[in-house]
Amino acid sequence: MADVTLRNVRKQFGTFVALEKLDIDIRSGEFVALLGPSGCGKSTTLRMLAGLEFPTSGEISIGGRVVNDVAPGKRDIAMVFQSYALYPHMTVGENIEYPLKKRGVKATERKAAVLRAAEMLQLEPLLDRKPKQLSGGQQQRVALGRALVRDPQVFLLDEPLSNLDAKLRSYMRAELIELHRRLGKTMVYVTHDQLEAMTMASRIAVMFDGRLQQFDTPAAVYNRPANRFVASFIGTPSMNQLEGAVDGSTFRVAGHAIPIDRSRFVHALGSGTFVLGVRPEFVTIGGGDLPARIRLVENTGHEQIVTLELTDGTRLLARTDAARRLDVGQSVQIGFHPDALHLFAPEETGRRLNKDDAASVIPMRSR
Amino acid sequence: MQSPLRTLILNLVTWTLVLLIAFPLLWMIITSVKPQTELFRIPPTWFPETITFEHYWRLLSETPFLTYFRNSVVLASTTTLFVVCLGTLGAYSLVRFRYRGRETLAMLVLFTYLLPSVVLIIPLYLMMVAIGLSNTLVSLILAHTTFALPYALWLLRSFMEGIPEDLESAALVDGASRMGAFRDIILPQLLPGIISTALFTFILSWNEYLYALVLVNSDSVAPLTTGVMSMLISTFNIEWSLLMAASVMMSLPLIIVFAFLQSYLTSGFGAGGVKG
Amino acid sequence: MSATATNTPRLERAYARLGVLLIAPTILVFSLVIVYPLLAAIYLSVFSIYTPTLQGNFVGADNYVKLLTGHEFWNSLGVTLVWTFGTLTLQIVFGVGMALLLHQNIWFRSLARSLVLFPYFLSTVVAVLVWRWLFNDLYGAMNHGLMQLGILDMPLDWLGSMPNAMIGVILVGAWKYFPFVVIAVLARLQTIPEHLYEAARIDGAGPVARFWDVTMPQLRNVLTVIILLRAIWDFKEFDLIYLLTGGGPVTSTQTLSLLVYQEAFGLNRMGQAAAYSVGMMLVMLVFMVLYIRRTGKES
Repeated sequence: MADVTLRNVRKQFGTFVALEKLDIDIRSGEFVALLGPSGCGKSTTLRMLAGLEFPTSGEISIGGRVVNDVAPGKRDIAMVFQSYALYPHMTVGENIEYPLKKRGVKATERKAAVLRAAEMLQLEPLLDRKPKQLSGGQQQRVALGRALVRDPQVFLLDEPLSNLDAKLRSYMRAELIELHRRLGKTMVYVTHDQLEAMTMASRIAVMFDGRLQQFDTPAAVYNRPANRFVASFIGTPSMNQLEGAVDGSTFRVAGHAIPIDRSRFVHALGSGTFVLGVRPEFVTIGGGDLPARIRLVENTGHEQIVTLELTDGTRLLARTDAARRLDVGQSVQIGFHPDALHLFAPEETGRRLNKDDAASVIPMRSR
Repeated sequence: MQSPLRTLILNLVTWTLVLLIAFPLLWMIITSVKPQTELFRIPPTWFPETITFEHYWRLLSETPFLTYFRNSVVLASTTTLFVVCLGTLGAYSLVRFRYRGRETLAMLVLFTYLLPSVVLIIPLYLMMVAIGLSNTLVSLILAHTTFALPYALWLLRSFMEGIPEDLESAALVDGASRMGAFRDIILPQLLPGIISTALFTFILSWNEYLYALVLVNSDSVAPLTTGVMSMLISTFNIEWSLLMAASVMMSLPLIIVFAFLQSYLTSGFGAGGVKG
Repeated sequence: MSATATNTPRLERAYARLGVLLIAPTILVFSLVIVYPLLAAIYLSVFSIYTPTLQGNFVGADNYVKLLTGHEFWNSLGVTLVWTFGTLTLQIVFGVGMALLLHQNIWFRSLARSLVLFPYFLSTVVAVLVWRWLFNDLYGAMNHGLMQLGILDMPLDWLGSMPNAMIGVILVGAWKYFPFVVIAVLARLQTIPEHLYEAARIDGAGPVARFWDVTMPQLRNVLTVIILLRAIWDFKEFDLIYLLTGGGPVTSTQTLSLLVYQEAFGLNRMGQAAAYSVGMMLVMLVFMVLYIRRTGKES
């Protein structure tokens, strides 16, 4: 019973508009990632949910209750900060105990709850240490412990893994997924790391420039990006985007015509510039009739990322298996998987013009 | 990489300069323990031939030095307590709250921190006379606030900015009120800054001369600065050893601070607006 | 309960109120002991007031006319500038030099630092007493020390004649306040990354080149701030000069602070003194604005 809703929320700092027309409905028990580049407003959104920032207008509710005027401590939420924000002068035990103390829980119950949380996160041997004496990973777990000790309805996590090294980060990712499964609580997770968002979240809210770009499942965000920004932000390497014109059932780029299936796109495709999007894994080398030259080959061991240059100098990326032999400077013919083409309006956050159906989800490696 | 010779020269040069700088202080101590007869030897004896503490004894028993000392302790402690209490709350407000006029206020604090005392002294004198506070310690405490409060506010503001905002945010989410977070989280974190500010304020107030000169003119309320100076002026034959003994005694709190709390003084420097 | 859709949220308003409440005592004290006296000083400057009786009458701009046409203010301004420039230069040169030495790995470094720091925190009264004893023409250690070293042939009258008095005051000022420069520069030196020196050494820079090409550019910002701050403080210095020379001989070391004090409490002309103090503040305002703008830029 803890939906989280943002209704037409706007946030302004002085004259700077940080967020505009933000509408997000998070269902109870969901794990939602707020994903976007720095400055996109994702942290501000989270801090408004926590009550640490105040919306300029709009309405925020948690568990069906409008919380605009509710103090952070009374919203039944817990938050994990990027810096962990452990109280330096308190021991680990006192840190975890603090939220209970502030809620007037009896001492004996507090001790029991702290021990339970410590046990869950393997913190028992550290309870008497000060935060300074802990490693980054341990501090991270203490911050989690402080959040979950009082059993809140909603967890807010602000880039909690970004200060950990790569190995620990992937371990903690698995831990967090497991924790979410076990607790079944609503979690809102801010990150700029698409890998975290894709692997952990049940739905991703992609944000850019103070606006929500798309709010959908990881698969949908990847396969049916709502606009050019989402298309380029999600996926590594990102989607190739070629500017050109639609001409009947072809897309003209670099003096060549790429056949497209008009029925897959919205009817009202007028004339003018459009952007054709295709992910690198759907660019086939030696399978089409678009002449290109290989400029760079990056072999990661299990695959190769190939930089190709079209005759007019446009560059695009292709992903192929590692075993294939490709040489820099080699001239090749390339083609695009016809079912994997996206068409966008030309502006930076230009709308995707495909008719959205399940058919546009193509299993990877179907070349 | 450093040759022993280079090290030796470097040390000799540095220590010669250090001792030269410290010489007036050493001379003060040496003079204070020389007997009166040895004092007026020409040329002076660089090391005392006999050591005596008679001047200290005379200072404590025959002059109002102890009264001055007590006045200075009361004055500096009260000023410090007053200013640090106001300054801590004020700095919390300036750093962690948003309201109209906050920036202007911060600039005003910085401005007053640089203001010359002589501009304020005339109106302050008139004010103290008008409300009947002239020639009291209270008037001096109020006057010392004029430089101590901007100073303390500026210092504490800087220390406060060094405390991560996330700590307070975490406390709020954990269920604390603003003042609760202030008490539980910020105050313990600010403690070293408060100590540093208190030491600075105490020393400033302890050393202050001009306000004491203008606002107070009787021995019973005079602090050390004007009190000891009056000992210089009142005697026809200046008793340097007595004055040097008084100087040493007057510097006692400072020596104690230096011996045990020096790190707080150096950290106050970084906060006092000398960052680059 | 309906949400406040466009108005400031109640919680934010409550926080703002708390913030104002916390600063309120400070504002009250500020207004009482700083803002009011400051305005009063400007108000008093258009009166002629006799200090012992505090009786006064309105004289309009007379005091300011006297300030502009009389030579007292300009004389004191000149003295103040000489004093400020002289003592500040010594403070910076000795301060930076000493900081560089103390940054090296010398024996008993922390003791050396304490000894160097001490004069700054010492009461001006104590400093002045010690130096007046050192400067004493008959028994002073200064004259005898310099004579034993062969620098002087006969004792000098240090504080009673010019230009010795000005030199003496500048020297004592430098001695008392240069530790400020030492601490600030030392703190900055400790943050210069070692790899800059290594890079310079690889590029073949000797110690002198390393100082000018690596150390100085890194110190430039902190030095600007120090110079501004010390210039302001030296400009308004009262205790040290008043206690050493009382402004004398005659008025040759009478800085603006001393002039104001002398006018108000020596010559009993409080209105004129207030006008002088306002004039002094206007001159200082230049430095103050520079410093405030600089500090504002950094934060």
